[in-house]
Amino acid sequence: MRDRGLAARPGFRALLPVVVLTALVALFLAAEPALAQEYTVREYGNFPIIGSRAAIWLAAQLHLFFAAFVLGVPMFAVVAEAIGIYGGEERYDKLAKEFTRLLLVSYSATAIWGAILVFGLVTLYPRVWGYLSEIFAVSMWLYVGLFFFESFTLYLYYYGWDHWKKGRAKWGHWGLGILLNAWGTAVMFIANSWLTYMMSPPAEVTPDTAPAMVQFWSAFANATWMPINIHRLIANVVFGGAIVGAYAAYRFLSCRTDEERAHYDWMGYIGNVVAISALIVLPFAGYWLGREIYEFNQQMGTTMMGGFMSWLWVVQAFLIGVLFLTGNYYLWVGMGRIPGAERFKPYTKWMLAVLVLGVIVWATPRNMIANRDEITAMGGQFHPFLGVLGVMSAKNTAVNLMILTTFLSFLLYRRANRRPVVGWARQGTTIQGAFFVISAAIVLFYGIYGYFVPAIVRIGFSVYQVLAVLTTIVAVVAIDIAMMRGSESRGAIRWGQMPERSQYALFILAVTFTWLMGLMGFARSGIRQHWHVFEVMRDNSVDAATPALGYASTIISVCVLIFLGLVAFIFWVGSLAERPVISGVGSEPVPTPAAAD
Amino acid sequence: MTNLKVFVVVILTLGGYTWVANAIPQLESVVPVELSFSADVTEAELVAAGEELFRGGAGCMTCHGLPTRAPNLLSDHAGEGTIGQRCDTRVEGQDCKTYLHESLTDPTAYVLEGFDPMVFAAGLYSPSQIWAIVAFLQAQGGEVTVTGQDIVAAREAAAASAGSAAASLDPREIMRNTLCFGCHTLGDEGVALGPSFNEMGARIDAERIRRSILDPNAEIAEGYEHLAGSMPPNLGELLTDQQVDVLVEFLASQR
Repeated sequence: MRDRGLAARPGFRALLPVVVLTALVALFLAAEPALAQEYTVREYGNFPIIGSRAAIWLAAQLHLFFAAFVLGVPMFAVVAEAIGIYGGEERYDKLAKEFTRLLLVSYSATAIWGAILVFGLVTLYPRVWGYLSEIFAVSMWLYVGLFFFESFTLYLYYYGWDHWKKGRAKWGHWGLGILLNAWGTAVMFIANSWLTYMMSPPAEVTPDTAPAMVQFWSAFANATWMPINIHRLIANVVFGGAIVGAYAAYRFLSCRTDEERAHYDWMGYIGNVVAISALIVLPFAGYWLGREIYEFNQQMGTTMMGGFMSWLWVVQAFLIGVLFLTGNYYLWVGMGRIPGAERFKPYTKWMLAVLVLGVIVWATPRNMIANRDEITAMGGQFHPFLGVLGVMSAKNTAVNLMILTTFLSFLLYRRANRRPVVGWARQGTTIQGAFFVISAAIVLFYGIYGYFVPAIVRIGFSVYQVLAVLTTIVAVVAIDIAMMRGSESRGAIRWGQMPERSQYALFILAVTFTWLMGLMGFARSGIRQHWHVFEVMRDNSVDAATPALGYASTIISVCVLIFLGLVAFIFWVGSLAERPVISGVGSEPVPTPAAAD
Repeated sequence: MTNLKVFVVVILTLGGYTWVANAIPQLESVVPVELSFSADVTEAELVAAGEELFRGGAGCMTCHGLPTRAPNLLSDHAGEGTIGQRCDTRVEGQDCKTYLHESLTDPTAYVLEGFDPMVFAAGLYSPSQIWAIVAFLQAQGGEVTVTGQDIVAAREAAAASAGSAAASLDPREIMRNTLCFGCHTLGDEGVALGPSFNEMGARIDAERIRRSILDPNAEIAEGYEHLAGSMPPNLGELLTDQQVDVLVEFLASQR
């Protein structure tokens, strides 16, 4: 007979409920002290070696780099596709497709860094994350939903390219591109509301305001939200153009056939045109953002421009100087492959002189913190010579003249191999020249007059200077389009016949844009100083002090290096899967007038 | 070879920018020191703490190190010497200590001709911090007269003021304490940004006034839609029920 065991014995069965109950009570009593402890969210976590701040900084910056790329590239992919549809030039369609291919492989990297950032915030800054997520919970879910739609629209857009190639289907495909941009822009606007809330929370929010009491829309559409939206929208185009230019440059340097070289030369040119064109309007969006920051909180504005960040603007001027000089250099070198461009060559040295002088003036410091030794060394609060150039009158004049000069470079490049056939060509050119001269005179006049009027009047002068330059750009382009209609070609552009040094200029542009983006991110975030949410939630961590520019620059350089390394890897992986779409730009005959570029 | 060349160009460019950014003066934005001095604080302690705030966390050097934005306090302004030398000549009959303290706590009180009012949020700093800055400024060529007693007195006054604000049933005092006059006018007092309190009772009834205080964004007065969201939504938490009743009654009586 088998032993049925202790559990089968009647006495034990009767005792079983008592035993279980006793065990449960004992377990509860043992656990009771733990239950009695109230659960509290810790303020900060620790990240080994580099610290929490650097870890979040790296994650946020890398996420932003990729996000900017995947938002910027669709904008001009869709524009290039439209040019292909309207103009009937297939090479633009192929270019748009290749841009989109770069986009596809960058998408997952954006999502990965986004996830790293969120996990970093949850584990390293739980209190800040909890606070923000309580206010913005609704928009966070909306963000996820839109990201989902954006991803699938991108898949349809890319993989449907050859399927929806002709007729009405092609228009439908282009509509997908528009939709992709709409989703992407909405996603960016939502994320911008979170970070701008940290900079400029509504006036009624105080340190004592519970997050549940903060009105959602008032927090979402805060003072700096829309200026940041517009600034980032334009900056993303600049960034996307620069990265595509660098990609094209790398492919140009590594390709083996003339056909490929021609294609990537043309692609690099388009990337550069897009980047520099958008860069020209970026300072105007920057002015708006700066003004809104001042209006939100004067102390914050003063800290940004004249406080501990004052030297940052000198570095920014240096970087923008590099961008202008390198962008123009690329165009001037590129004119070597355009028949007829020789006639413009004598002007380049003068344009170079204006640009160099402009950079020198723009990078001249004036309003900054100086200690006693530095004041003594300068012979006063301002350097006797440099102080005159460091004021806004001189800087505004310099930057407007640099923009005009860069625009002139583009115009000369565009007209290099064309001969207008309209009867009013001479008068048209004279009017264009007059626009340049008059706008330069207006810029100079208000620049000099600004020294003789009070600051409040002087600030208004910058509006006249900007309007003069913008009017010239719009009017000259309008005249040029009309004048060059049906123009004759002086010879086909010899795409691919570019010296290698020009391609390194494209790399310098991409690195500089990326670094500048990191620097401006530091400026935007750093002006909150020791606040997570400005004057609402104080930073009590060991990293509460905002670091100096030297430390910031090291972090930015590391971010740029990681980003470029990952981009190179992603593009390499992409190239394994699919051969590049060659546009045939170098091999095609260019017999028709004005169809060369 | 191409890879190496590209890598070298990238590294040189990054290295150049990092070097430039490290070569310029390194300024860190320090966190304002939390101070709590007792009555026996020494002059040296006060001046040292004040200097740290002035040069660091309080951001004073941003403007006062630059003669174009604000008078220079540490060297000279208009040939009158440092701030410690000139502070007791600013307002007749007023000593240096009082002048500096009032200038900090009410930046619109004494604005020098040709300059804008100072951008300084005194409410963010403790009495100890404010008095420490005053002591540091006095030390710039003058005699330091700030003592620990000033700090203790300021702290007691702040506590008493908070207490009276909480208990006050004087409608005007309640309105001053809750900063209503920052946007509304009553007689000659206040700033005409939001709807005026004058004749408010003739325009809206008591119930609407109560709703406007407790839930200011529920109903926005016509013509003031652009200010929606700017009135604090937490007045119901800051004021007692009795204080709200007093305010409603007072405003409804303004006809």
